[in-house]
Amino acid sequence: MIVFSNVSLIYPNSTRTVIEDLSMSIAEGEFVLVIGPTGSGKSSLLRLINGLVPHHTGGILAGDISVNGISTQSVKPGGLAHLIGIVGQNPLNGFVADTVEEELVFGMEALNLPAETMRKRVEEILDLLSLAPLRNRSIATLSGGEQQRVAIGSALVMHPKVLVLDEPTSALDPIAAEEVLSILHRLVHDLSLTVVIAEHKLERVIQFADRIIRINDLGASEIGKPEEIMKTSDIAPPIVHLARALGLNEVGLTVREVRRMSEDFRNQQFEIQAPVEVIPGREIIRISKLEVSYAKQLVLIANEISMNEGEIIAIMGRNGAGKSSLLRAIAGINSHAKGSITIAGMETAQLKGSLRRSHIAFVPQEPSDLLYAQSVKIECSQADKDNGVESGVTYALLNELTPNISTHVHPRDLSEGQRLALALSVVLSAKPLVLILDEPTRGLDYQAKKSLTKVLINYAKVLKQTIILATHDVELVAELATRVIFIADGEIVADGPTIEVLLSSPAFAPQVAKVMSPARWLTVADVIKAIPK
Amino acid sequence: MKLKPHPLTWWIWSAALAIGIARANNFWHSILIVGLVSLVVLQNKEDAPWSKSFLWSAKVALAVIMIRLFIGIVIGVPIPGTKLFTLPHLPLPSWMPGIRIGGPVMLERITSTLHEAVILAGIILILGAASSLTSPYRLLRTLPIYIYEVGVAVVIATTLLPQLVSSVYRIRQAQKLRGQKERGLAAWKRVAIPVLEESLARALDLAAAMDSRGYGYSRKRSRYRPISWRATDSIVALASIASFISPYLLFFCAVIPLGLRSRELVNR
Repeated sequence: MIVFSNVSLIYPNSTRTVIEDLSMSIAEGEFVLVIGPTGSGKSSLLRLINGLVPHHTGGILAGDISVNGISTQSVKPGGLAHLIGIVGQNPLNGFVADTVEEELVFGMEALNLPAETMRKRVEEILDLLSLAPLRNRSIATLSGGEQQRVAIGSALVMHPKVLVLDEPTSALDPIAAEEVLSILHRLVHDLSLTVVIAEHKLERVIQFADRIIRINDLGASEIGKPEEIMKTSDIAPPIVHLARALGLNEVGLTVREVRRMSEDFRNQQFEIQAPVEVIPGREIIRISKLEVSYAKQLVLIANEISMNEGEIIAIMGRNGAGKSSLLRAIAGINSHAKGSITIAGMETAQLKGSLRRSHIAFVPQEPSDLLYAQSVKIECSQADKDNGVESGVTYALLNELTPNISTHVHPRDLSEGQRLALALSVVLSAKPLVLILDEPTRGLDYQAKKSLTKVLINYAKVLKQTIILATHDVELVAELATRVIFIADGEIVADGPTIEVLLSSPAFAPQVAKVMSPARWLTVADVIKAIPK
Repeated sequence: MKLKPHPLTWWIWSAALAIGIARANNFWHSILIVGLVSLVVLQNKEDAPWSKSFLWSAKVALAVIMIRLFIGIVIGVPIPGTKLFTLPHLPLPSWMPGIRIGGPVMLERITSTLHEAVILAGIILILGAASSLTSPYRLLRTLPIYIYEVGVAVVIATTLLPQLVSSVYRIRQAQKLRGQKERGLAAWKRVAIPVLEESLARALDLAAAMDSRGYGYSRKRSRYRPISWRATDSIVALASIASFISPYLLFFCAVIPLGLRSRELVNR
């Protein structure tokens, strides 16, 4: 279906080869996963398939790519629209119409299909993706998972033979992600659709993949069965790390496989570890009688929450459950919030200027919202000045987070992880009492996540500061958080130590816990600690 | 699904009403018509962004009345009539004859200004009603096919505007969190740069998405669910034309959409 022959790609004004001499072919009905560190050219590889690269972005392409026998060099991306559906990283950026139905037909109208055909196909897709109740809804009002389904629907409605998806689950909660991926799985099996997908959260997709393409920073790539690639790959889901830690001969890709392989291990008797006694620090945040309502609709209610020094609190819940509302209320910028929220005795809504900087730091979903300077250097010195610290402090902090960032680079040109690090060091140089992060790991690879985790744990332990983060990333929560607050439909349904909350819900349990159940371990490190020497 | 009138119907209807009140040139007449129009708007209200345009036009209309009144009272040519009160007179240089600021204020002056202002405000409100009753997307879909492609581009551009507003809001808030001052040129620069960068990135994304969905590839473009002109549309249009005969028929024209309501469509 898709044939790459000796493909190399270089972007103009860059000396780095994005892809070097890649030859492969993908058969009809294959589910292919593309992995690699951020900035390694996964997106470029995906966009090569329908010719967006280089037709749209520029760049020098050597070799040839053909899809269903059509070379992408001879036609523009529009000419492949009937053959290839492409779903971008952020579906909202690609939407053109106001309602779901209009969005679905946009491509078909462009290809001049007759109205009767469009009618039939729209109904078909609405049923297939369970979008029928949403048909007349305005796209802007849909939740993340629904938007993702609309984006997939508007690609599928063209009856493509190939579907290309760039990180389709990065903004979704575990349950919505599961939903989207199982739809893809079904399409591959029922319609023999060819799917090429790039994803960072391997624990979500690896079980569906027939083959994996791995790209590294230098543009070199290899393609193979998931079991083979995972044997050596450093980009791997926790389940593979677990298999390695246990010294198993093979790696398993699903919980079921690894449970079977690790049966002997699990049957051993382990000393039951006494739970680590956590001495609660001083109370730092107090929330009482919080109510948030938009357009007369109550979206969040919380009677009494108290947060202490040194805690890392993860706020979890489905898309639209009210996580961001809570974070913004705590930060004191939610104008719809009623009730009292104090940090060290001060109402957060009243904090201004330097007093605010020394009390709360907030890193929004888009860390770049905080940045405005033309280079890393200017950004850092501005932060030094604002925060009243010696010059160089912010940059030193940044160096600690991610070493070797060039000071002359524009913040936009940094990778996701580096940009987050820059935003973090800008706010942290003021030494705030509380750090709030909204979805910090969106688009971060395992490596970047690992260094973020290290920094945050260190920050909470050494400086006794409080960290609050909202996230969908179960594995991150397992590694990082000391306490989890679970929100459903605007109400707090669980609040307690991470281990208690995560283990009580199967959808939000990390992979290691699922494999090792009923033993109470969340991470690979927990398991290693328990292995008798 | 509710059967909606043709978007052009609303514009014909409101144009007829606007011309009607301008021709009738009667204070109470236009107040009554505006009242009836508000009723129609209230009845056909949707929860959509463009539905707010009636409210906005009401604000504009109010501002028009206020400004007109202010000018009518303060600046004016002296006319004879009942004197209400006298404002302090501002002497102007001799090369500005015929204009007077301040001085005596006449009752006739105020009533005639109010009369003009109300009719002008009425026209603004009626046009605002039409734009709040028609979805710009639906209106666009009635365009002839050869300008449709350009129209699609225009509409897509207009959908970006609310996104721009929301990203300005979001970034301003983030900057506030960084404890930045919220006023002044420097503050705006700090917001403008990320907003511009973001909208540029978004525009590129959008262009890529449209390109890969075949936009502009085929020379002809088909239409899903074309909007048809129905008997009810003809009735409203005819009533609108008939209203030119007499200002009293205008009331009939204004209320006719009230009768068009609640035609629910069971099967499409």
